[in-house]
Amino acid sequence: MESNKKLRLHAVARREQRAAYLFLIPALLGLSLITYLPLLAAFGIGFTDLRVAHFMPNNPPPLQFVGFKNFIDIFTNPSINILNSIKVTIYFALLAVVGSIVYSMFIAVLLNRKVPGRAFFRAIFYVPHILPAASVMISWYFLLLDNGVINYIISQFGFERVKFLDNIYTVMPTLALISVWTCGNLIVIFLAGLQNVPRVYHEAAEIDGANSWQRFWRITIPCMTPIIFYNLLMSLVINLQVVVPALAITKGGPGGPGQGATRFMSYSMYQIAFINGEFGRAGAVAFVFFVVAAVFAFILFATSKRWIFYQGDEKK
Amino acid sequence: MQENTRKGAPRVQYIKNKRRGAAAANVIAFIVILFLAAGAVFPLWWMLRSALMANTDIFLAPPPFFPKDWLWTNFILEPRTFDFWLYLGNTLTIVVPCVVFGTITAVFCGYAFARLRFRGKQFLFALCVGSMLLPTMVTLIPLYIVWSRLGLVDTYWPLILPYLCGGGAFNIFLVRQFMLTIPKELDEVASIDGAGYFRTLVSILVPNILPAIIVVALLIFITTWNDLLQQTIYINSPHKLTMATGLTQFMGSYKNDYSGMFAATCLSFLPGVIVYLIGQRYFVEGIVMTGMKN
Repeated sequence: MESNKKLRLHAVARREQRAAYLFLIPALLGLSLITYLPLLAAFGIGFTDLRVAHFMPNNPPPLQFVGFKNFIDIFTNPSINILNSIKVTIYFALLAVVGSIVYSMFIAVLLNRKVPGRAFFRAIFYVPHILPAASVMISWYFLLLDNGVINYIISQFGFERVKFLDNIYTVMPTLALISVWTCGNLIVIFLAGLQNVPRVYHEAAEIDGANSWQRFWRITIPCMTPIIFYNLLMSLVINLQVVVPALAITKGGPGGPGQGATRFMSYSMYQIAFINGEFGRAGAVAFVFFVVAAVFAFILFATSKRWIFYQGDEKK
Repeated sequence: MQENTRKGAPRVQYIKNKRRGAAAANVIAFIVILFLAAGAVFPLWWMLRSALMANTDIFLAPPPFFPKDWLWTNFILEPRTFDFWLYLGNTLTIVVPCVVFGTITAVFCGYAFARLRFRGKQFLFALCVGSMLLPTMVTLIPLYIVWSRLGLVDTYWPLILPYLCGGGAFNIFLVRQFMLTIPKELDEVASIDGAGYFRTLVSILVPNILPAIIVVALLIFITTWNDLLQQTIYINSPHKLTMATGLTQFMGSYKNDYSGMFAATCLSFLPGVIVYLIGQRYFVEGIVMTGMKN
């Protein structure tokens, strides 16, 4: 009797397990074939001299294992200079992430008040996020031209016209600003988070005589830390992969070869692989890219325990 | 404060002051929002305004805020320069299968993670979440090599097939999170009534998580619609160009046809905006969902 029941339970569990694997076939295929196997392959390719010649139908050269040559190349070859790419990518990502978080939090706090037309404004701020990134870049390119409207406004105030996208000092803040403009998804998430901050906390603090500035820093921000963490992470992952501005407009410039002010890691990889046809080297860049992204994710996760405050978390 | 609470009249006065202060703050907040919103909309308005103007008027100084004549005919672009309908058709050839099958498979996988027990669940889910943090750039080159070995470069398959695998980890994650909020008793009732896993999913859970499903569909729409890099890499033939690649091509070759350029850009905005307006209500709800349950 007892063992019979156990057997039946076992059969049910097995049936459930079989169903689960069937439902997961797409995910299993995706995770293995288009995510983790290619990840390993990318590292492998980085140690070979794979280039476009290997794909020629007529007597392709034998594929050679070259050890760390590609890795040394990308750091020492002045026309690749991956250090510059790492630097500009991190610079852009930090500007864009910090800008996006501050801007979206500011707007979310304002929209969280009793203002008329809240849904309308939320939609207004969200729309730039859903526009095609290439079109967004092209639009801003025209706005920022020498004789474009933004320079006209600047000149009306008596300032000199700025070559926003052709100057190595202004190009990055400008691109980061455009990225901030498209961060409407963060606003929506922050707004929802703000509505979940318990009112009683604010009321209690108010009775204790805290002004609204103090309440924002001592109550709103701590309650929002889990959401800030989520937004930071998502924003970081997206902005480290920045490529469209370079692809659509700046082509890695301004700045000489290997010194391009917008030669982002992903753009450098695109050029090495798909313009120069050097897949081995590009694989090495991909590996470096992976390490940079992993380091940032690690820093964020490692420090998160210290500054994230979970509600209902009693131990203090 | 304490004196205020003890006596009636001063307390009323205090609350009145407080309310007046809050109302004033709301007015200020509204004005600031109005300014910021104007700033956010301005680039879009400027594109539309420029698209409706004659080529010679666009860069006049001072720049007119409204077009002198509203030249809607600018939107009728020569197919030679920007073949809107061809690009739209091509892009939809990629986007529609991605959205349909990506959404379906995301629901399947999300269901397995949310409801079913199986060996290796924790591990698989960790792999799934981990792949969200992995830059897609890293896997681009091996994938390109495989696709070119298969002879599928310059076809739409490399852009479509990856989306048939659950539509990306993020979407699987989103479906799972949403399903976890649906009480488990609902599917238990169904299974007592003799419904299998598939029946339970389709007839009980899918109707309950419809907002999440719409969000997943919209997110896949937006990512596939916007994927300039992969479309640039895989598509070469002029008659296979998509909206994004067609636009960058136009940008490169017809730099002086400004009003045409602006009109083409505005047209490329349109499908996304329409899709967003249709699903707006669900969109907000679903995005909120991803951020809340972490």
